[in-house]
Amino acid sequence: MQPAISFLRSTKCRLFASLGLTILMVMGWAGAQDKPVVLRGGKVLTVTHGVIDNGAIVMEGGRITAVGDAGTIHVPAGARVIDVTGMTIYPGLIDSETQLGLTEISAEQTTNDLVELSDEIMPHMHTAEAFHAESALIPVARMNGITNAVIAPESADTLPGQDSFIQLAGADATEMLLIRDNAMPLNFTGDQRRNKGGFEKRKFPSTRMGLAAQLRQAFLDAQDYKLKWTDYERRKADAALNKEKDKKPEPLAPKRDLKSEALLPYLEGKKMIVLAAESPSDLETAVSLANEFKLKFVLNHISHSQPVLDYVAGLKVPVIVGPIYEAPKEDERYDTVYSLPAQLYKRGVKIVFASYSAHNVRNLPDQAGFATAFGLPYDEALKAITLNAAEIWGVAEQLGSLDVGKTANVVVANGDPLDVKTDVKQVFIAGREVPMSDRQVRLRDEYSK
Amino acid sequence: MRLISEKILVLYCVWLTVALASAAALGQAEATAGHDIVIKNAIVMTVTHGNITNGSIYIKDGKIAAVGETVNAPASATVIDAGGKYLTPGIIDSHSHIALDDDVNEATNPITPHMMMKDAFDYQDKAIYRALAGGVTTSLLLHGSANMIGGQAVVIKHKYGAARDEMLFPNAPRSIKFASGENPKRVYGSRDQLPSTRMGNFAVQREALVQAQDYMREWDNYNEKVKRGDKDATPPKHDLKLEALADVLRGKIMVQIHIYRADEMLTEIAMAKEFGYKIRAFHHALEAYKVADQIAANNIAIATFSDWWGFKQEAWDAIPWNATMSMRKGVRVAIKSDSEDYNRRLNQEAAKTMRYGGATEEEALKMITLSPAWIVGVDDRVGSIDVGKDADLVIWGGYPLSSYGVPEKVLIDGDVYFDRSLPGLGTTHYKEGE
Repeated sequence: MQPAISFLRSTKCRLFASLGLTILMVMGWAGAQDKPVVLRGGKVLTVTHGVIDNGAIVMEGGRITAVGDAGTIHVPAGARVIDVTGMTIYPGLIDSETQLGLTEISAEQTTNDLVELSDEIMPHMHTAEAFHAESALIPVARMNGITNAVIAPESADTLPGQDSFIQLAGADATEMLLIRDNAMPLNFTGDQRRNKGGFEKRKFPSTRMGLAAQLRQAFLDAQDYKLKWTDYERRKADAALNKEKDKKPEPLAPKRDLKSEALLPYLEGKKMIVLAAESPSDLETAVSLANEFKLKFVLNHISHSQPVLDYVAGLKVPVIVGPIYEAPKEDERYDTVYSLPAQLYKRGVKIVFASYSAHNVRNLPDQAGFATAFGLPYDEALKAITLNAAEIWGVAEQLGSLDVGKTANVVVANGDPLDVKTDVKQVFIAGREVPMSDRQVRLRDEYSK
Repeated sequence: MRLISEKILVLYCVWLTVALASAAALGQAEATAGHDIVIKNAIVMTVTHGNITNGSIYIKDGKIAAVGETVNAPASATVIDAGGKYLTPGIIDSHSHIALDDDVNEATNPITPHMMMKDAFDYQDKAIYRALAGGVTTSLLLHGSANMIGGQAVVIKHKYGAARDEMLFPNAPRSIKFASGENPKRVYGSRDQLPSTRMGNFAVQREALVQAQDYMREWDNYNEKVKRGDKDATPPKHDLKLEALADVLRGKIMVQIHIYRADEMLTEIAMAKEFGYKIRAFHHALEAYKVADQIAANNIAIATFSDWWGFKQEAWDAIPWNATMSMRKGVRVAIKSDSEDYNRRLNQEAAKTMRYGGATEEEALKMITLSPAWIVGVDDRVGSIDVGKDADLVIWGGYPLSSYGVPEKVLIDGDVYFDRSLPGLGTTHYKEGE
């Protein structure tokens, strides 16, 4: 797969340069770390090069500048040295699907900006434009070591809009939105059908046939739209070239269509589709649709696709798996979904976890830990919320492991990152200490007086 | 929390007729009744008297007959070698709505104390088995929170595959569900009915209790007349609704209240004093930490979530320290599921209290065993590993108070109901396809 970042760096969208894909190249935190910090003495889980038992890590200018043994690490001049003996140090965790910043109180509709239900094809919705940076939910999540997350619209539409990739700290939304429109969900789970409330209330598309036809039309429209613009550009160039000779009027520009425009980077394979399906039949329909339009994709959920895991492995794409707490179907064993990550891993599929949540993002690592009880190797479980996620989202150069040169997103905890009992003591984002307080801590302290 | 489920449970295909299922289950029960079992080589977490490493349990007639480093058991007893693994009492979920086939709320009137959850109990619901596979052996199935006074609960044992009546917890005390806050006022307010405010909520509740007092007085008068030999005395009309509420006032039914906000807890405490009944537990109780002293002083327990928050306005002040802060103030605390999802891993939810507020291992375990047993009113029979109690036990793979604890075997009344090593569903009593 083409990493999103390298695309962002290398590609210029010729047709729509003027529309300005807003891309923030700054992977570090703009308000930079003021002096070097050394964490010395803890157990360092690097993710890429094993565990250093009595390790140390140096953070400078928002980046990791050294990782090694506590005894031999070079302490830069003026550095603040923090003794983390007995602690476990690991990279900031990455949640591959959340609704952070899109909701505050679930039942209070005025606080929700989760999905636009007026149409099923809404690729021109940008979660970045609804993202509420000051949400009380974000500090709650980051206090448990989640430093980065994908923000996705809810899955009630087949094409509900585009994701964002955020950092869970920053002065404002601009700093926190590391990549806008980094990917786009394409949901095909059956839940997108407008078939609720009896026949009299149904509207198109009320069946999977309807959903598929509508999707196909939307992609065809976007292809036509691209041709129209290509043709226009050609005629415009011709006119400019032959201006003196022909004295023809300048060709008229086609009308802009935001939906089609939004689909083009995906049709051109420049950005990634997050293809969601649960059952084998939906999965295969969705994959054939994606292939028909040569979309680049990762899979999402596939919670009930156990019978076709070899087929999944054959697709050679990563899977955002779960949530593994998804209830099994009536005829499935209690642990069918719990063991899905292990089954995929055995077949060589790269997996990542997501909380698919807003309020419960902090529990992301619990899920990874639980998957190990059903056969997923521990190191793979940790990778599934760090390095694998960074790779899938195209940010592995900056995130996902404790390696020199990467953004200094570092977590200090009193134990195993995947255990529910582990208490996170300090989180660093881009080398800066995140305040270890949130709304809940303040309430606790207020009522503990 | 669950008000009206959006999911419509699909009735799964049941191959056995009810009669056959009963016969098969009875046959199984006969085969094991009176059977002696010894579980040896376990780390026994008793909940009441510490852990016994390399401990054993002798089970006779479905009850715990002995527990210790060694136990005296007949040589003929079946031996289960726990292989050095952890063994705990079965988990008790003091707030559940599973196996009710979506008949959780009779949301047609805010006062429905005569609804009996037992009448909706769908004993073949696979949610019972999935919770069993998570170590749950007893659940309190409650009416929902649409009504200020909902129905009467049913207590079940998760003997998945057994006949319906075998799954009912024998002689469990009666519990009734009260509610408060957003749900009743939303349900009836959306229909332009009373209640649509919290004032309305409490007025509706008080009105019903006043009617019950009147009803009791009428019957007391009548009974007095009969006692005096008055042959002309005519009995008042029987009213199921008021009969149930009268039993609340007579202290015959335990009151379980769905409640979030601290102020409402204080109002419910005052209401209980006004009418002379006792509140057994506040359920959800996400703001209990704000008034824990007063909850403790009234001997009211709480059945709460470990860290759920923000799903509605009245859950906005929820904090994950609620359980431990309340416990330290003397409140009996249970962690419950209120969910078909979380009832499969309540052990992890309990473990979170060790992190948020530093509960000890035993305190955390108690929140899903002995404390919920007290809330349900069956703590003399289940909830700890003590001689004389029902042999409802879980053998765990991994440490139960962690992300890694998963039940390997679950016993109820001394009988193995779930075994992870078995194929199919891993259940011993439910036979698919027979």
